[in-house]
Amino acid sequence: MPALTFNKVSKTFGDHTVINAFNADIHDGEFLVLLGPSGCGKSTLLRMIAGLSDITSGDLLFDGSVANDWEPKKRGVAFVFQTYALYPHMTVRENIAFPLVMDAFRKWYHLPIVNIVARHRLMKRADIAERTLSIARQLELEPLLDRRPASLSGGQRQRVALARALVRNPDLYLLDEPLSNLDAKLRTQMRSEISALHHKVGKTFVYVTHDQVEAMTMATRIIVMNKGIVQQVDTPDEIYDHPANTFVARFVGSPPMNLIPASVSNDALQLSGKLAVDHAAPLPSRRHMTFGVRPEKLTLHPAGEGRLPAQVAVVERLGAETVIGCRLMTGEENNDQRLLEHDLVFVRVSGNPKVRIGELCSLDYQAGDVLWFDIDSGDRIFPGQE
Amino acid sequence: MTTPRKLAVKALRYMLIGILVVLAGFPVYWMAATALNVNSQLYGTGQVAWPQLQHLPDLVTELGNVPIGRWLFNTLLIASGGTVLSLTLGALAGYALSRFKFHGRGLVGFLLFMTQVVPEALILVPLYAMFITFGLLNSLWGLILANVGFSLPVACFVLKGAMDAVPYEIEESAIIDNCPRFSVLTMIILPLIMPSIAAAAVVSFFAGWNEFLFASTFLMDRTLWPASVGLASFVGQYETPMSAVLGAALVFSLPAIVFFLLIQRKIVAGLTAGAVKG
Amino acid sequence: MVRLLPYAFILPPMIYLLVFMFWPLSRQMYMSLTNTRIVNPNRGRFIGLGNYERLIEDPAFYVSLKATLVYTVLTVIIGVTLGVVAALAIDRPFKGRAVARAILLFGWAVPGVAASLIWLWMYNERSGVFNRITELLGLGRFSWLTSTDYALGSVLAVTVWQVAPFVMLVVLAALQSVPQEVREAARIDGADGISTFRAVTLPHIRPSIQLAALLVAVWSIRRFDIIYLLTGGGPLGSTSTLVVKLRQTAFEGHELGMASAYGAIGLALALMVAAIHYTAEQRRMKRMSR
Repeated sequence: MPALTFNKVSKTFGDHTVINAFNADIHDGEFLVLLGPSGCGKSTLLRMIAGLSDITSGDLLFDGSVANDWEPKKRGVAFVFQTYALYPHMTVRENIAFPLVMDAFRKWYHLPIVNIVARHRLMKRADIAERTLSIARQLELEPLLDRRPASLSGGQRQRVALARALVRNPDLYLLDEPLSNLDAKLRTQMRSEISALHHKVGKTFVYVTHDQVEAMTMATRIIVMNKGIVQQVDTPDEIYDHPANTFVARFVGSPPMNLIPASVSNDALQLSGKLAVDHAAPLPSRRHMTFGVRPEKLTLHPAGEGRLPAQVAVVERLGAETVIGCRLMTGEENNDQRLLEHDLVFVRVSGNPKVRIGELCSLDYQAGDVLWFDIDSGDRIFPGQE
Repeated sequence: MTTPRKLAVKALRYMLIGILVVLAGFPVYWMAATALNVNSQLYGTGQVAWPQLQHLPDLVTELGNVPIGRWLFNTLLIASGGTVLSLTLGALAGYALSRFKFHGRGLVGFLLFMTQVVPEALILVPLYAMFITFGLLNSLWGLILANVGFSLPVACFVLKGAMDAVPYEIEESAIIDNCPRFSVLTMIILPLIMPSIAAAAVVSFFAGWNEFLFASTFLMDRTLWPASVGLASFVGQYETPMSAVLGAALVFSLPAIVFFLLIQRKIVAGLTAGAVKG
Repeated sequence: MVRLLPYAFILPPMIYLLVFMFWPLSRQMYMSLTNTRIVNPNRGRFIGLGNYERLIEDPAFYVSLKATLVYTVLTVIIGVTLGVVAALAIDRPFKGRAVARAILLFGWAVPGVAASLIWLWMYNERSGVFNRITELLGLGRFSWLTSTDYALGSVLAVTVWQVAPFVMLVVLAALQSVPQEVREAARIDGADGISTFRAVTLPHIRPSIQLAALLVAVWSIRRFDIIYLLTGGGPLGSTSTLVVKLRQTAFEGHELGMASAYGAIGLALALMVAAIHYTAEQRRMKRMSR
């Protein structure tokens, strides 16, 4: 069972740094999600683990031995590609059996023409045939075994790709955005199937995605990345409740955490420059910072009752809950002719409150739910660490 | 909408097409028509301009006196051998150019381009000397080796173009599945580009089928002659009836016409790609 | 390990090309500096530029050079023009287009030797179809292949019959990729057929025409079979291009050194054509990237 260690791993293409001194440990049996926006280097990391991409500097250790130059086959990994990468000219059965057949190949079987005969023979070998069939059964692919990938639906192709990964029973599964080509409903279903799979096989999964919902629902641990740099490594709960910086706070959670510029003068808190708020708790001892609060930690009140006067700008009714975007009333809103709704503060409430766009209302919060961030670096300010 | 002017343009266009079709098609038509004349008509009373199918048995008898079967068989050997060799080498080169960056890549491209520019006649004499040394003169093997140099680049460019279109992830997937690179090529990539392989095969095959200069220089033994050399030997000799000569030429041309028409687009793509990528 | 992998694939084809193409080619280039004769193909003596000096003084060389240039230039001009015209004529669909297209390609598909035989017969002075027609028209008979007035033109006709269809195919492929919306937009903007062609279609197919011209030119410099079979280079060398002259000097005159010198000039011509093409191509690329 490999434990993976990244030791200051970097990757550059010419002058462009894709990954900058990446450090991490991947533990045995965990479901680790690499989360970040596209182009943040997460797929490159996965490909480095698989041995498909070279490492420019630093070391990648498999169980303590430097594996930078190992051939992919020596690493004993399975890889599920975003595009599934099924072999179009092979049936589902041949696709699933392919890793087993390759393992059973002797050197001279690779000769042209010999390889056709050898593959044909090995497909019929009892152990390979049985293993293929049992994996196909597990993933409910048995009726499709003699079809070709082109005739399968997206979900079925996804399952064939998973079956091909599972068939060799590897210790490490690498999945590169495997759900991004599926429609929303299928994605939810496959999400729980992959989670269940992880529990059943009990092996290490490394999963790359830009979808924070996938990360939150499946991961035992998340590495949040941006521009080749690790932002935070933690469990989903910690990432959500205690983001290390404003990037993580904004990237995880939908709608994202509300981040409002704040300042302190004479021990009084002012939000968005103008709005004085009675915080009713000790404030960080600096003049400027960012005030962060999750939408579900805010409460919605009729105008005048909460500490933050606001005006409703957007209402998204999701059935069980409603997300309301408000503009804080700082006294300058009459001059604000902006069409786009950034700088909105979102509040998430359960049920379907009767609010209309343009209506005046107020918001309130509890001091304990507030996170403070450095206004320049975006890093979180911990209590007593100012 | 049909103004008189448009009608006139249309009529002109059809007339132009008609003229071009007649110009392009006439020699082949004439080849068939001549083959179905008898000698007395050709040189005496005057050639009959339409194909006289009643003379088909005469043509078959006349062709029996020409070793066209033997020639075509040699042609087939030369063309097939060249096809196998040029596809094998072309697939290797095409794969390397399609998938790898390596030192000397530009040089390889330049050398492949050069083969499209160098006149065959230029290497005729040194090859002749070389073949004397290695005993390859008067041998079909030697001829095949000489021919392939010129069909290999076209095969290479056709195959490379097709390989470029195969997603890289399929190949990476095979690598993860413990498939060595050589088998990635033979078991994954090549089966996926069968139409282009067929096109490259036709190009190579008919390069060998049509080749004349090398064959006429390197093969002295009449029993080794391919059809191109055999047919050329009729030039300037008058024992064989012209109907038989052109009948044999027609038999020799038909496979080339059929296959070239079938894969015309691919051939054009291959020939032009070779000239662009230098 | 990974770094060596590409060479495992590229080396076999490259070794093959080096042995059977570029080694002979360099031998040939060296041979042009020796007095090698066919009786001792491997033991020529180095004589520097002696062969080239003889070449410059030999009127036959200029005849051959002129034949090559005239033949190449005329093939390109006539072949490309006819090919483009044919492509434009059959670009738009009409009844029987597939058949017309197939017949237009005949000349390109027929092997050179077979093409030579049929044209030899058509050019036949006594019984050929051309002279039967000219006699019918009262013009008398012509010595199509044996008179210095007509031989080059006759060879040219066969060559054009072979290359124009190829030009047509290349241009057709380019025409198929002319964006229809742009053509229609030009129409809507009030452009008539001819100005639409000049503003939209022609710029789009020009690179393909240029490429086809390059290939046709290079092939003309290389071509051996039909010239050799139709005229053997005669009469009086009027059709003896450098390549034909090369083989004659080598295998009939037995002077391999001299033959190689002819070959070197031929190669230089072909490379010049290619270089012109590339310069034009580079300039076009630069214009487009601007």
